[in-house]
Amino acid sequence: MSLPKLARLPSARLLTSVLPHHQLLLPPLSPLTIPCRTKIQRDYRRPGQPIENKYPLNFNFSKGIEGIKKHFTLMKDEFFGRWVGPEGKPLIEHILEQNLVIWEFRGPESLEQWTVSSDQEIGGQSEAHLKMGRNDNTCFLHGKLSSTIPRDGETRYSGYCNMRSKTPKASFDRKKHYDWSSFNTLHLRVRGDGRPWMINIATETYFSHQKDDIYNYFLYTRGGPYWQEVKIPFSKFFLSHRGRIQDSQHPIWLDKVNTIGFTLGDKADGHFQLEVDFVAVSKDYAHTEEFAYEMYERNPKRERIE
Amino acid sequence: MKCARCLLQLQGLRLQGLQLQGLQLQGLQLQGLRLQGLQLQGLQLQGLQLQGLQLQGLQLQGLQGQSARSAAQRGALLQSSSQPHMLRNTQHQVIRRFHRSPINDKNQPIPAEFIDEDDNKKDKSLVIHDDLFEQVARETKTKATFNKVVEVFIKQDVRRRGHVEFIYAALQKMPEFGVERDLAVYNKLLDVFPKEQECGVQLLEQMEGYGIMPDVDTKVLLIQIFGVKGHPVRKYQRILYWFPKFKHTNPYPIPKNLPEDPVDLARFSLARIADDRDAKVTVYQLPCTDITESGEEITLPHVVGIQSPSQMELLAQHNPSRPVFVEGPFPLWLRDQCVYYYVLRADPVPPEEKVEEPYDPERSLAYPLQLDLDLDRDLGDEESFDVEDLDEGAVFAMCMTSQGDQAVLNQWVSGLQQNNPILGRVPTLFRLEQGPRELQGAHKTKSDHQHRPDPQTQREEEEEDEVSVEESRGEARR
Repeated sequence: MSLPKLARLPSARLLTSVLPHHQLLLPPLSPLTIPCRTKIQRDYRRPGQPIENKYPLNFNFSKGIEGIKKHFTLMKDEFFGRWVGPEGKPLIEHILEQNLVIWEFRGPESLEQWTVSSDQEIGGQSEAHLKMGRNDNTCFLHGKLSSTIPRDGETRYSGYCNMRSKTPKASFDRKKHYDWSSFNTLHLRVRGDGRPWMINIATETYFSHQKDDIYNYFLYTRGGPYWQEVKIPFSKFFLSHRGRIQDSQHPIWLDKVNTIGFTLGDKADGHFQLEVDFVAVSKDYAHTEEFAYEMYERNPKRERIE
Repeated sequence: MKCARCLLQLQGLRLQGLQLQGLQLQGLQLQGLRLQGLQLQGLQLQGLQLQGLQLQGLQLQGLQGQSARSAAQRGALLQSSSQPHMLRNTQHQVIRRFHRSPINDKNQPIPAEFIDEDDNKKDKSLVIHDDLFEQVARETKTKATFNKVVEVFIKQDVRRRGHVEFIYAALQKMPEFGVERDLAVYNKLLDVFPKEQECGVQLLEQMEGYGIMPDVDTKVLLIQIFGVKGHPVRKYQRILYWFPKFKHTNPYPIPKNLPEDPVDLARFSLARIADDRDAKVTVYQLPCTDITESGEEITLPHVVGIQSPSQMELLAQHNPSRPVFVEGPFPLWLRDQCVYYYVLRADPVPPEEKVEEPYDPERSLAYPLQLDLDLDRDLGDEESFDVEDLDEGAVFAMCMTSQGDQAVLNQWVSGLQQNNPILGRVPTLFRLEQGPRELQGAHKTKSDHQHRPDPQTQREEEEEDEVSVEESRGEARR
């Protein structure tokens, strides 16, 4: 009786990461048949609201030329990169690689790879802004949280903000994934203000039901003027769907990672700030744990004896 | 009917349209009594025992009773003793009544403690759940009053309906009464017997949101009410599975009860941000109120500073011709309160002035501080990341104070000078923000000041007019 009722309840938005918003400008000379998998990424659409404006058809000649150049350069790099080795690096480097810096914020163009969102998409009043930190060497995410619930009758919680990386793109805006299968630890250098954050990693999924599957773990900041190095093994990440931790857990599959994000929703109204120096992955030989949580079946279906 | 001073036993009595005046009853026992349209005036009851009584449309005026007073005044009672609800049905066989609309509630008297003596007209209103809470709102909101409201609801006549709404209203009102972290209160609310699984899930979700671990009482109640396979029990099991796993994940834990005293709070937070166990906290000034000559009262703020031996060394090596900066205030959040700290730091040293001092081997006799091994046999572990090192300038000391203006910070720096004589020769510049200074004496703020939240900009020229920069030499401070 109550199961369908529960499904209609609004999901707790405390831990939900939102999809990246990115108005894509198609270069006019791209192939006309767009494969159905590559969806145009728009701003976050609140479930229940109609989809507007399918294709932004703005033709701009100079942007088109730039687009052609960019995509063909990428294609050329990919083509020749295959002959060098996996992911464009020599094989021995790829095998022996122990530390790989994925994002380091040196220069304002690094901010383009990140999307910032807050609960203003659902009608809340938090703000979040991203800018370069001191000496253009770090990124600075700051803003203000407010947990006043938007008055639309269905939202129950509010007050979150989120910074999420954009999905990596191959040439002609095809989806590319990060391959972290040879690493087992996430390494961050952050400087926060004592608030607890949450790290969300979204991987490539097959079924549409798995669209909001995210692997989470906590990022506790100490606060203070000193930088904080955080090392989180990937075995600690637990699976959640739409912010609800799932019963059946499994370790994260690192071969097709799409995005990583940082969320704050700690119900403490007020300003917040987080500085990130770099985000890297590393292989820690001393860490042998495969998964931190039990994987037995939680709701076993017993055979009925008739 | 006149019956005075005898042990009256009434069993299976039906009274309709009865009028009793000046009745005295002692040692009355009533079982299975049904009274309809009863009017009692000037009744005296002593030692009354009522079990399984049903009263409809009862009017009691000027009632005096002992040991049954409050029960009778509520106008409806089903049991004189409090027992768990599950047993009630089997033992006392409550006679079920039809659902009644709340319009009939108008005829019911409101419990005495909720009637204002001045405002007797109010008791004509409908007694719905929010009203109960609002009426208590006039008194102080404590756990006792919250419990009273719940008890009133349990014993009220409308207990066969409106449980769920009552529980939802109670869940919402909990923070106002300050009982949202109290497990006993949640168990009591569950005792009200919500029939919807959704309601139970919501109650557990509120508990989960506040991080409260449920009890074995909760489990027993949930199983009794909803059954083992129901959603609330499943949710309870999930809470009991995941909470212990995440309880100790914080490498910098904050105690549940933070110190109230600002000096103690400053000590704790400074020790937290210093990240050095050798760091020493010094209280330069305790908060006190002084009366000046003109008779004005001045509140002196507390000034607590911290410095570790490695910071003292760095400060000793600092080039006196370069200035040091007092920057702040920077926010530090401790659960839900924000405190502010100030930092004494210097700009990064340009590479040409950097002096690499060789390690003194006598600093540590237990093990060598520098190893120069050339292991060519193994590929070795590559521990460092291919990222350029951020050089941000050394931090020499931190402090916390409730009033962050220049005079107070000057006090701090002169206090520091006693241990670091170099501060007497070094120019000190103040880079203070305008915003949080207005929050004097209120370190527990959920503040929404509009200051630019990047406190560590170094070369933003446009911010100069906001910043108060004053140069003061060490000699002037003495």
